[in-house]
Amino acid sequence: MTNSSTQTVLNAQSLTLKINQQTILNKLTFSVQKGEIYALLGGNGAGKSSTLKTFLGFNKPTDGKVEVLGQSLDNSLALLRSKMAYLPESATLYPHLSARENIHYFLSLASIKKSDAEVNDAFKRVALQESAWERHMQTYSKGMRQKTAIALALLRQAPIFLLDEPTSGLDPIAIDEFNLLVRELANSGASILMVTHDVYGACQVADRIGLLRSGELVGEFSAPTNGRIDTEQVHTAFAQKESA
Amino acid sequence: MSQLVSSITREWRFMLRQKYILVLLLCTLIVTSFSIFSGIKEVSQQHQTIERLKQADLKDRSEAQAKYDDVGSLAYYSFHLSYSAPSNLAFAALGERDVYPWKHRIRMLALEGQIYESDAQNAELAQAGKIDFVFIISALSPLIIILLFHDLFANERNSGRHDLLVSTSISSFSLWGARSIVRFLALYFCLMLPFYIGATISSVSVTMVVAISAIVLVYMLLWTLLSIWWAQKQNTAPRIASSLIGIWVLFAFIIPILGDLAINHSVHSPKGGDIVLTQREAVNDGWDLPKETTLKAFVETHPQYKDNLQFKNTWAWNWYYAFQQVGDQTAAELSQAYRDASQRKYELAGWPRQMPSPLLSMNNKSATFTKRFGCFITPSCLETSSLKNRL
Repeated sequence: MTNSSTQTVLNAQSLTLKINQQTILNKLTFSVQKGEIYALLGGNGAGKSSTLKTFLGFNKPTDGKVEVLGQSLDNSLALLRSKMAYLPESATLYPHLSARENIHYFLSLASIKKSDAEVNDAFKRVALQESAWERHMQTYSKGMRQKTAIALALLRQAPIFLLDEPTSGLDPIAIDEFNLLVRELANSGASILMVTHDVYGACQVADRIGLLRSGELVGEFSAPTNGRIDTEQVHTAFAQKESA
Repeated sequence: MSQLVSSITREWRFMLRQKYILVLLLCTLIVTSFSIFSGIKEVSQQHQTIERLKQADLKDRSEAQAKYDDVGSLAYYSFHLSYSAPSNLAFAALGERDVYPWKHRIRMLALEGQIYESDAQNAELAQAGKIDFVFIISALSPLIIILLFHDLFANERNSGRHDLLVSTSISSFSLWGARSIVRFLALYFCLMLPFYIGATISSVSVTMVVAISAIVLVYMLLWTLLSIWWAQKQNTAPRIASSLIGIWVLFAFIIPILGDLAINHSVHSPKGGDIVLTQREAVNDGWDLPKETTLKAFVETHPQYKDNLQFKNTWAWNWYYAFQQVGDQTAAELSQAYRDASQRKYELAGWPRQMPSPLLSMNNKSATFTKRFGCFITPSCLETSSLKNRL
């Protein structure tokens, strides 16, 4: 974490979530600080996406609490949602619209106005090729759709980013570029909670990693100052926990 | 307010990019325009027919008056035009005017034998019914609403956009509310614009237009709210659509048909054919009965004519008309039962006809029609006619 402030932006306290009698999250406790990149790492069905959706207010906690910027979601859901830019796992925007039209439509939903020049800048930042900007998105690859969605998240200029498998579908070069972008955002004060099952990717970019298994946080790893989290250590823990 | 306008504008532009919605709205506009056009054409033809018949009736009567100088022959050879002119709003609700007679050329005798004739010109068309504006609103508009709204949420869920949309939007109303309002208004426009044009052409009063607009608005709102509410509850578009269509079938067909069956089962009505047969048999018997028997029966109900029934010859118009009238009197009880049954059916259909029930409404309309039409040709009406006075 490059930002020295310790303001808690996202906070889960003994968060328990049950859906149809099935426990999805079990007394999950973790927090994300301002300017921090926190990666929730876990296998399929570990509860990663459910955690994100709980922060977004789509899941109501069965027990415990979640707070965004120190406030409960119950009090001001719409306001707090406006502070969070969400990147879903399969970012399917409208296929009959171009990338630019999609961006303008979604920004309009958020009551944000951006000029074409600003949208162009965002496209360039996510390395979306210029020839695709005005094309209908039905012709896009998964990676291109992902980049468009990332551009949308950037343009929202939210202080918090919730990223669900953000590098899914991206090629290795695009992943590196994405990691740089995320680091840039964190350096500018944004807080990022990303969920992933990519151990290597998480270690590359995250300041802290929480290891999630069957809805429980079973381990947490922090990056050393000016260093990265040890991939080997995390992978070993991940593999042990997964095979346990 | 500016936020609402902004949301509506955004969703309007968005809707204009959705081809399947545009095609659906265009089809709606075409079908509604067709219904209004055909309604206006039909009403215009009916007016022209009435005018033509009125001229022909006048000519026939003048010819009869020139040809015959005795009242009996004059009455026998004269026809009387009876018709129910379409109202200004008939272009929007033709009802059963293609099935039940709206014009009759009657002679002043054996009335019960003439009432139940039908002048349906094309039996196949009459069976299918007219695609009038009322049919489109009551039967088709719920289907179009279901098509427009069933996938409001499911489409976004299945495409993986739902959470992104909701988390991005400043409020639920700004997204779903604005999207629903735009679709609703677009559909309302496609359904009502042809009606407003038709109403202007047909000189329908503003009050009536406002009343009909309000009724259609409320009716469409009910189906829209039902569709949105159900669409929120379920996950998959096919499941939502099939269950909503099930509800539509229930309200548009099953309840009206069952209601119709229940009403017909509980209210016993003589058939028009039975009335005709009874009347005809009584008239035929009249030829063989002693004149005194016929005249006695006639005077019992028409004592004012008792002094006009003396005649010397074996043939007399007075006697002829009297036994025709006695024939009607013989069938009067059945005829009254028929009218009472129609009225009872109309009353019983009171609550179910509030539903979108084009089939059940036939029953109501037929009862209304019989009631209205009956006043043209019942003996009590004819009693006031000048011809009757000349007898």
